[in-house]
Amino acid sequence: MKKYDVIVVGGGPAGLAAAISSSENAKTLLIEREHRLGGILKQCIHDGFGIIKFGEKLSGPEYAEKYKDMVKEKNIDIITDSFITDIKKNDKTFSVTVVNSSGISQYETYSVVLATGCRERTAKQVFINGERPAGIYTAGTAQYFTNILGYLPGKDCVILGSGDIGLIMARRLTLEGANVKGVFEAKSEPSGLMRNIVQCLEDYDIPLELSTTVSRVFGKERVEAVETVRVDKNMNYIPGTEKVVKADTLILSVGLIPENEIAEKLGISTDIKTKGPFVDNSLMSVNVPGIFCCGNALHVNDLVDYVSESGETAGKNAALYKNTNRKLTKIIISDEFMYCVPQYINYETDEKNIIFYIRVKNNCNNVRIIIKNERDEIVYSRKYIIMRPPEMERLVINKELFKNTSFINISLENGDDNI
Amino acid sequence: MKRKIDIYLKKNIGKSATSSEYRKSILLEGEADSWSKIISAGKYAAKFGYKGVINKISLKGFSEDYISKPDFTDGKFNNYNTDVLIIGGGIIGCSIARELSKYNINILLIDKESDVAYHTSSRNDGMIHPGLVPKPGTKKAFYNVRGNYLWEKISEELDIELHRTGSVITYDKKFLNIIKPFLKMRADKNGVPIEFLNKDEVLKYEPFSSDDIVGGIRLPTAGIVSPYKATVAYAENAAVNGVVFGFNTFAEKINTVNGEIISVETNRGKILPKTVINAAGVYSDIIAQMAGDMFFSIHPRKGQIAILDKKYGNSLYSILSRPNLNFHSDTKGGGLVKTVEGNILVGPSAEEIPYREDYSTDYKTIISMISKHEKALNRINKNQIITYFSGIRAANYEEDFIIEKSDYIKNLIHAAGIQSPGIASAPAVSEEIEKLTVEVLSVYKEVKRKDKWINRRFSSPQPLKLSIKDRGNLILKNPDYGKIICRCEEISRGEIIDALKSPLEISDLDSVKRRTRTGMGRCQGGFCTPLVMQIISEFKNEPLNSVTKKGHTSFILGEKTKEFTGDDLNEKV
Repeated sequence: MKKYDVIVVGGGPAGLAAAISSSENAKTLLIEREHRLGGILKQCIHDGFGIIKFGEKLSGPEYAEKYKDMVKEKNIDIITDSFITDIKKNDKTFSVTVVNSSGISQYETYSVVLATGCRERTAKQVFINGERPAGIYTAGTAQYFTNILGYLPGKDCVILGSGDIGLIMARRLTLEGANVKGVFEAKSEPSGLMRNIVQCLEDYDIPLELSTTVSRVFGKERVEAVETVRVDKNMNYIPGTEKVVKADTLILSVGLIPENEIAEKLGISTDIKTKGPFVDNSLMSVNVPGIFCCGNALHVNDLVDYVSESGETAGKNAALYKNTNRKLTKIIISDEFMYCVPQYINYETDEKNIIFYIRVKNNCNNVRIIIKNERDEIVYSRKYIIMRPPEMERLVINKELFKNTSFINISLENGDDNI
Repeated sequence: MKRKIDIYLKKNIGKSATSSEYRKSILLEGEADSWSKIISAGKYAAKFGYKGVINKISLKGFSEDYISKPDFTDGKFNNYNTDVLIIGGGIIGCSIARELSKYNINILLIDKESDVAYHTSSRNDGMIHPGLVPKPGTKKAFYNVRGNYLWEKISEELDIELHRTGSVITYDKKFLNIIKPFLKMRADKNGVPIEFLNKDEVLKYEPFSSDDIVGGIRLPTAGIVSPYKATVAYAENAAVNGVVFGFNTFAEKINTVNGEIISVETNRGKILPKTVINAAGVYSDIIAQMAGDMFFSIHPRKGQIAILDKKYGNSLYSILSRPNLNFHSDTKGGGLVKTVEGNILVGPSAEEIPYREDYSTDYKTIISMISKHEKALNRINKNQIITYFSGIRAANYEEDFIIEKSDYIKNLIHAAGIQSPGIASAPAVSEEIEKLTVEVLSVYKEVKRKDKWINRRFSSPQPLKLSIKDRGNLILKNPDYGKIICRCEEISRGEIIDALKSPLEISDLDSVKRRTRTGMGRCQGGFCTPLVMQIISEFKNEPLNSVTKKGHTSFILGEKTKEFTGDDLNEKV
């Protein structure tokens, strides 16, 4: 059995970054199930990646290429086309079972970084009913068809969901020669980044209908039409607002779900808000020490730059991992927030600063994020002109501020207060 | 009798409605304004002991029913002579084909779809019913109990995974004591073993069963198979023994002379059979009528079923239900079934509909089934659903199987009206049809058993189910078993190639899915669809955009927009 200090699971942007940072201090193995490294970036041929990380606008493959070059320079063992079937916890280590075309191999490691990414919510999971013809695809699958295989998924497309991939696919399909008849969004606000609404829909005159969803599919062999219906605030259909839109393709961009089946099997507790593991600021699971998590497996990010950043954090800490008792400070967030990562703080780590990724539930204007300790003292505050659910906020805060408190509270208050 | 029916029709359907005796059956005609009235009329007429109810009452404003069928014609089967022609490639047609393949006769099985088990046989919960529900004395009761018994042997011979789990039915009130004698009597009459359990015993079998029950019954002979894999197994064994499978072959017309079928016209030419077996499922009444033997009607009864994510499969060990107080024998209450693959199925519903191929689902039904069956197993909830589907039961008004030689057409045999418990009954139905066919065919030629009949069939390897060592060795022999294509269900490239190489020629995504489970997991094919398509396209040496989801014109891709050069797809790291 081969032994490693760190095994990184997944060779997408999070895993690549984790492997690089881990390799500086530890013997590292990177395991990727696909043929090539790069994860979903391989099919994201649009630009906008790397503005924060590299200060330039890159396409997905270009961004991945930069990381792949860095990986090649490091001393990292890499296996691709390799699928992990099991991770078992031993006394001090983990055994990882891998299947690939040369057989079944087992590895032993002190820590594991889960960088398994996420999957897309499907038509059935959002309860689109009706017939079951060909022509219904998640946006990621449609993107694979278009960008990797070089085929259009169809001619006349309807897109449900204004998530970023949906918006990007609306533009891509238009450029490739398909007719995008509209993007429908059940919520009253778009779910994607503002820049994508402008650059992908408005620039191409693709209509966006808010508070409207697709309720039914028609067609026996191939999609022939879909029924759209307006919904109220509680997502109930408004009778009498049904419309039939002729289309041969329905593309869904209705949410991403972190892939945490390996974590679940290890008994890792997950946050229902992020659908990823509960972690501390080293991005280590709070209940199964030695397991780290990053990227979209931890929580769904909107920028790859932050995915890489969390990979670096996880990889670095995985390399330094020693099984010692942690004292964790719980982070309590108020109702206005969708989630905050990490959910706990371990004061005894090397970093000077703690990075928080935080997202609000609804659009808010002129607000202030307030962080208090157990003595109700404000240790940090920051003003925002606008906060939107699709746009994650990142806070970098000096760790010293969280000394000597058993919990911290993060709340959102009116921005006008003079603090 | 007819008078009573006429009075009922006038009162409930309208003046236009009439009945007439046709041969030994009763024919209902007219026009009604609702489908439920038509069903009620048929059910009413079934009470008078006619051979069958032919319900031709039409629904006002109802246009032609959709039939999925091939969109091409060719001469593949033109003037094709065969001793036996089986119409329908569900589990009934395929099991008959397999049983008849032991004789020195030519057999052609046709189906309008691109694969076997395309309709009802792949759209049910795979339960091997114990046989308690059918009325004693009915064909259903007989074939169900006999079929249940035969499954032991069949599963062994055809390498079909059978889980003989037993089923548990729980009750919350003292009700059980009242119906206990009735259940005991019925079980004895049908020859079904039954055990009465107290609450603790129920919890021993189903530890997560709801706590507020007083007890239950257990039917130890109940079991579970994968209904489509079972159908495929039957078909593959039949094919190995010389049965010819004609897919995409649609029976359009049956020509008879003097009460005898002389030819069956299809989109692929005129077939010349000595005998014809009607195993056409929801279309079995139409085939019977085409052949000049109209005596029953199929009224499609839809069942919707929800599939829960495997990772919640541990909440259930077998088959569990908690029925309502009214015990009906022809409306199914549904329940919870743990499939052989480990998912929990919730359902089915039972809805009378005018369409024979309407596989739509609706939110209300799916959600109401979850809330209904949550009462049996609190641990399930709607967030565990990964997908749902529906199937159509081929119900006739007599609510019994039709397994017989035609009264009027001397070379026609019916295996019709087979609905639930059709999977459970299939081995017994095919055993009977085998006898009948040999009898009928013996008039035309000498029917002898083959010297060499291969009664065993072996499934291709399922690496996931092997020990680490065996799986490793398998991969050493064929590295394709180590290339995982479907990440949710852990299905390898080797298994997909095996499916494509199987004795039945298949080429669409759903056919591969039925054999391997690719795309059946929680991502529902999001990741593996393009990969499986590439394997199919390579294997068939046909362009990627000729691959279909389910045959006919269900193309997955549109036009090609890019040409790749070089080896960028093979670049590594």
